[in-house]
Amino acid sequence: MQAMQNFPPPDESMKSREPGDEDAGLPAGAEQSDLDLVRRAQQNERGAFDLLVLKYQHKVIKLVARLLRDPTEAEDVAQEAFVKAYRALGSFRGDSAFYTWLYRIAVNTARNSIASRQRRPLDYEAELSESEQNNVAARLKHDDTPEATVLSEEIRQTVNSAIEQLPEDLRTAIVLREIEGLSYEEIAVAMDCPVGTVRSRIFRAREAIDRALKPLLD
Amino acid sequence: MTDQIREQLSALLDGELPPDEMGLLMRRLEKDPGLRRTFGCYALIGETLRAPGGRIASPSFAACVSAAIDEAPVLVEKASTARPGATVQVPQHVALWKRPMVRTALAASAAVSAVLLFRPDVTPVAQLEVAPANSFTMSASPTPAQSQRLAGYMVAHSQFSTPMVRRNVLSSLLAADPGIARVSYEMGEAP
Repeated sequence: MQAMQNFPPPDESMKSREPGDEDAGLPAGAEQSDLDLVRRAQQNERGAFDLLVLKYQHKVIKLVARLLRDPTEAEDVAQEAFVKAYRALGSFRGDSAFYTWLYRIAVNTARNSIASRQRRPLDYEAELSESEQNNVAARLKHDDTPEATVLSEEIRQTVNSAIEQLPEDLRTAIVLREIEGLSYEEIAVAMDCPVGTVRSRIFRAREAIDRALKPLLD
Repeated sequence: MTDQIREQLSALLDGELPPDEMGLLMRRLEKDPGLRRTFGCYALIGETLRAPGGRIASPSFAACVSAAIDEAPVLVEKASTARPGATVQVPQHVALWKRPMVRTALAASAAVSAVLLFRPDVTPVAQLEVAPANSFTMSASPTPAQSQRLAGYMVAHSQFSTPMVRRNVLSSLLAADPGIARVSYEMGEAP
């Protein structure tokens, strides 16, 4: 982003994750935030787990959709992964990042789903007539570009457009946070302003983008 | 939903919310679906900026997960994906009798009680009337050969009895010693 050229690059302490990490790409503070929510969920505060689902639903569905042969099953498998994670939450001790742990569960669930499909005795398409096979092919072709994917593209364009229209201070704050992964304190140093201002700018940037997204999501 | 609360929500997503602000916000989140929607949207914005493209969750996805959890709300289960040796924390709301170790102990106690209270009559077998022609012949003092045969029989036929029955037989034999006669299962064997 253009705004980034005005600020020094983050030092090594800001970028401690290796490229291969499953949780690479999560901004600073996300792990602590997750840990707080996990601890609350472990105390049977269901709302805390709901927030973790809201936070990672898109990331897990993207991951699972890449692994499955039939991406139309992605939501079912992702749902199963979240339910498994909830049931196993008592065994999560926080030695790794929550998303790393969730990532493993999601991958295993996707693998199990693939394996169970392979074990099914009937070859579904072999049982269909030629005309029925054509219908299935047409449906699969349609599923290759499902509504969700189209919506995803619309969301991407809307978010980018909304960011372009933000005042520079808001745009810089949200970019440093979401793309560069800087903490509020690091952003405050970079933008030479108080931490409270950073918090407010990031919030206002999100609000503006949220308003732009609302017609798509409601 | 005020701007102040939504700003807290934004900070919560970033892990920058002071702990003293968290409790109240969590309670509000539980009651306010609009606030949860906003949180989901903030998360989506970040996800879209960091990794654009690909599938996204349908608007009802989180509600479906929540409903699926409500159907079987067992919080603790040792996941196959959990690290080996990981501690399983049992939540307080799980009734004591439902805990695995307690269940096992209760089952074992019940089994022992059943054996002790309802054990088949261990009347000395010497007093039993036995058809002389075809079956068990009793010996008040078994010979070493008979004892050997009995042990061999127990080993060879153990597959046809349950562990509980085997234990009962052995207990009976031990309890009977030395006053109770030993049984030789040798058909038609002369005393």
